[in-house]
Amino acid sequence: MDSSFAITGKGYAIVAADMTVSRSIVKMQYNEDKIKVLGSHLLMAFSGEPGDTVQFAEYVERNIRLAQIRNTYPLPPPSAASWIRRELADSLRSRSPYSVNLLVAGYDLSTHEPKLYWIDYLGTMATVPFAAHGYGSYFALSLLDRYHDPEATVEEGLATLRRCIDEVSKRLVVTPGKFKVKVVDKNGVREVEL
Amino acid sequence: MASADGGAYSYSLTVFSPSGKLVQIEHALAAVSQGTTSLGIKASNGIVIATEKKSSSILVDDSMIERVAVICPNIGIVYSGMGPDFRVLVARARKSAQAYWKIYGEYPPTRVLTQELANIMQQATHSGGIRPFGVSLLVAGWDVNRGSTLYQVDPSGSYWAWKASAIGKNMVNAKTFLEKRYNDDISLEDAIHTALLTLKEGFEGQMTEKTIEIGVVTVPTEEDLEGWSISSANTRPKPTFRKLTEEEVRDYLAL
Amino acid sequence: MSIMEYNGGSVVAMVGKGCVAIASDLRLGNQALGISSNFQKIFPITDHIYLGLPGLATDVTTLKEQFRYRVNMYTIKEEREIEPEAFAHLVSSTLYERRFGPFFIEPVMAGLTKKPSGEYKPFIAASDLIGCLNFAKDFVVAGTASSKLFGVAEGLWEPGLEPEDLFETISQTLLNAVDRDAYSGWGAVVHVM
Repeated sequence: MDSSFAITGKGYAIVAADMTVSRSIVKMQYNEDKIKVLGSHLLMAFSGEPGDTVQFAEYVERNIRLAQIRNTYPLPPPSAASWIRRELADSLRSRSPYSVNLLVAGYDLSTHEPKLYWIDYLGTMATVPFAAHGYGSYFALSLLDRYHDPEATVEEGLATLRRCIDEVSKRLVVTPGKFKVKVVDKNGVREVEL
Repeated sequence: MASADGGAYSYSLTVFSPSGKLVQIEHALAAVSQGTTSLGIKASNGIVIATEKKSSSILVDDSMIERVAVICPNIGIVYSGMGPDFRVLVARARKSAQAYWKIYGEYPPTRVLTQELANIMQQATHSGGIRPFGVSLLVAGWDVNRGSTLYQVDPSGSYWAWKASAIGKNMVNAKTFLEKRYNDDISLEDAIHTALLTLKEGFEGQMTEKTIEIGVVTVPTEEDLEGWSISSANTRPKPTFRKLTEEEVRDYLAL
Repeated sequence: MSIMEYNGGSVVAMVGKGCVAIASDLRLGNQALGISSNFQKIFPITDHIYLGLPGLATDVTTLKEQFRYRVNMYTIKEEREIEPEAFAHLVSSTLYERRFGPFFIEPVMAGLTKKPSGEYKPFIAASDLIGCLNFAKDFVVAGTASSKLFGVAEGLWEPGLEPEDLFETISQTLLNAVDRDAYSGWGAVVHVM
């Protein structure tokens, strides 16, 4: 039931994810952070099977940190995303696969570009200008097809994201509730209030 | 330490002596230099590899002895040293060639197969519980990439490419002989005769089709190559390596 | 729902006169929902080989990486570039390794083989998901639009096409076939060698 969106713009990427934890028809919690900060310039929104999500996100978090300790430098977004994808792809054909869908967003300090990766539990990875997971994607993607602008400022980007969230809140049978929004740009990661 | 038997470092484990030698490998080379002479000569249009085939008794059925072995249709090898060790290497090399064929649909280039053999022999110098191989090999083959090539592999796992080389009991004399006789544009026919002459130098007893073995690499013609396209089903490449029959050897000896 | 049709996508390769072409769409979907319009499924293997990997997208990436690894190792070990024929067999044996739990990919490859005379001979091949090779002399197709590609290619392809005409033929074949397939489309890419 969870929804997550992400967009890239001029020198930044924004990731948004709902904050609801639900079991069956009951909302158990409404202040859950579903966006992990994997490094100074790397974000990961995760959704999917409850339990798997947090387990996998923490596993990724620790391994990305380990890579940084070993190599002195953090993994750049393409390498991090590629490693995460491989973990999911290998997991898919293991005895107990993770059911986790991800949006990996980062700012690449070597190319001075924002990067966004859409990754699903199968290990499918696509580099995209904007992306969404969950039921929200059915509303958000068509909105983003219309309103996404790769040259937009952060303010314009946030406004576009606002449209997506509003639309989902308006049209989805089960309203996702509050959303957490994080921005990554050349200055690093920060959380913003919509 | 420098005693004739190899001293304290001469047991089954291949360990460094304080002087930096691996005495076991030197012993293996000693085993090779006691073995019958083998040689290989690269010609302008092929390669010849040849060896003595001597049996310890006239009662032995010498048709059973094989000292030149076909590994795959384009590669053959000959050895000096210990027969049983050679047999093991032949089996490993054939298996490796077939494994390569299963992956790439073609047989390995000579260099790749030589490296494979060299790796097997090198591993024997630093694996526990086994001794180095007591053989040196001459590997002759043809491939599209490098044409015909002749390699030597030693018990240490080192390998080199040669224009002509000899291994075994008479190698020093044979090499000197080859150095005098060799030139770059020698034909395969001439190379075969040079090979026989070289063997004759140190030969004990009668040289007949029963007491020598010869293998030759021939270079395929352009028409041959055109016809070998793998995608055209059911065409099998003609072998480029083959052993000479006793009749052929007899004819060469008669000349 | 078939796994082979989960993400959508199609590839076609054709032989011309002293040239070959390979083309694919760029769609990545989740069943009917489009995710990306820039998902590459054709990859350069050497200067003379291209490989198309239509099928389940996770396996597209995994196999792309697998073949990159194996071809790099081959190049280093053999000190030469792999030839299309040997590469086709490498594809086949790599897929057959997973005979009882396959990658859901039906590869298509196109390349130029250097003949002993020095001239280049066009080469195309396709394989099913467990490595059964098909060396066609005209064209090969694969992916969710394969049935349509067969029809259009059968109608448009002719022997002895020059590079420019081959480009036109393969482009029109792909475009018209993916237009009739909901799972393919969203952009296209064509390579001519």
